Amino acid sequence: MIDNLGFIVAAYAVVWGGIAAYAVSLARRRGRD
Amino acid sequence: MIETTASPLPALRLRPWLGIVATALAMLVSWMGLLWAPTDAVQGDVYRVIYVHVPAAWLAYLAFAVVFLASIGWLWTRRPWFDALAVSSAEIGVLFTGLAIVAGSIWAKPTWGVWWTWDPRLVTTAIMFGMYVGYLLLRGLSTDFERRATRAAVLGIIAVVDVPIVHLSVLYMNSVHQLPTVLRVGGDPSLDSQMGMTLGFSVIAFTFVYFALLAERMEIERRRQQRLLDVRA
Repeated sequence: MIDNLGFIVAAYAVVWGGIAAYAVSLARRRGRD
Repeated sequence: MIETTASPLPALRLRPWLGIVATALAMLVSWMGLLWAPTDAVQGDVYRVIYVHVPAAWLAYLAFAVVFLASIGWLWTRRPWFDALAVSSAEIGVLFTGLAIVAGSIWAKPTWGVWWTWDPRLVTTAIMFGMYVGYLLLRGLSTDFERRATRAAVLGIIAVVDVPIVHLSVLYMNSVHQLPTVLRVGGDPSLDSQMGMTLGFSVIAFTFVYFALLAERMEIERRRQQRLLDVRA
């Protein structure tokens, strides 16, 4: 069992999720133009 | 008088490919960081957070360096393309800085026992985050394009001074944050080869992500600038 697995997964989810959310927001802003 | 929003560089049709490559690399480095890289002898597996925390921080440095150069470009040439580059890079830099802070906090809880501490590296990074949020807010204070771009450019040139302060804070101030293991002054990287390879690939992946986001954001900004020029004409 990987130690502190929850913290590791949370960090990856926050970082990649944040980037994905920003990319989606850019696509929406471009679509509004 | 602004006459063109055109890029001073030749047109490159990179946007779809940058996003595709960035997404593929993101998946690859996530696998490398979570599963392929070995367990650390001291920290165990929680160290794996560095594969998202460190590249996010480095790309924030790059983003703010681009803001600095683009700000000089605007002041020198008055070409709106440079202003578009500056605001786009600043927005992405703020994103990466925020993510680096949050990822670092998630790593800190099991390692240091706290989510936050008033450590020089953390404080200077938070100041850097605040400065560039301020940069973005400053742009909203003026509706005049040239005035807004010029004020932002001045701040973009001044604010970059915090980037080396953040990086060197662990060396010159009393910090609990670990010392640089790769970007060390006068020394080779002190990192296991598999870990080094994973970190290297992560940096490459984040670099592609940065450029993919930058291309998209600049396209939005340049369309906005063109609408502004059309209204003026």
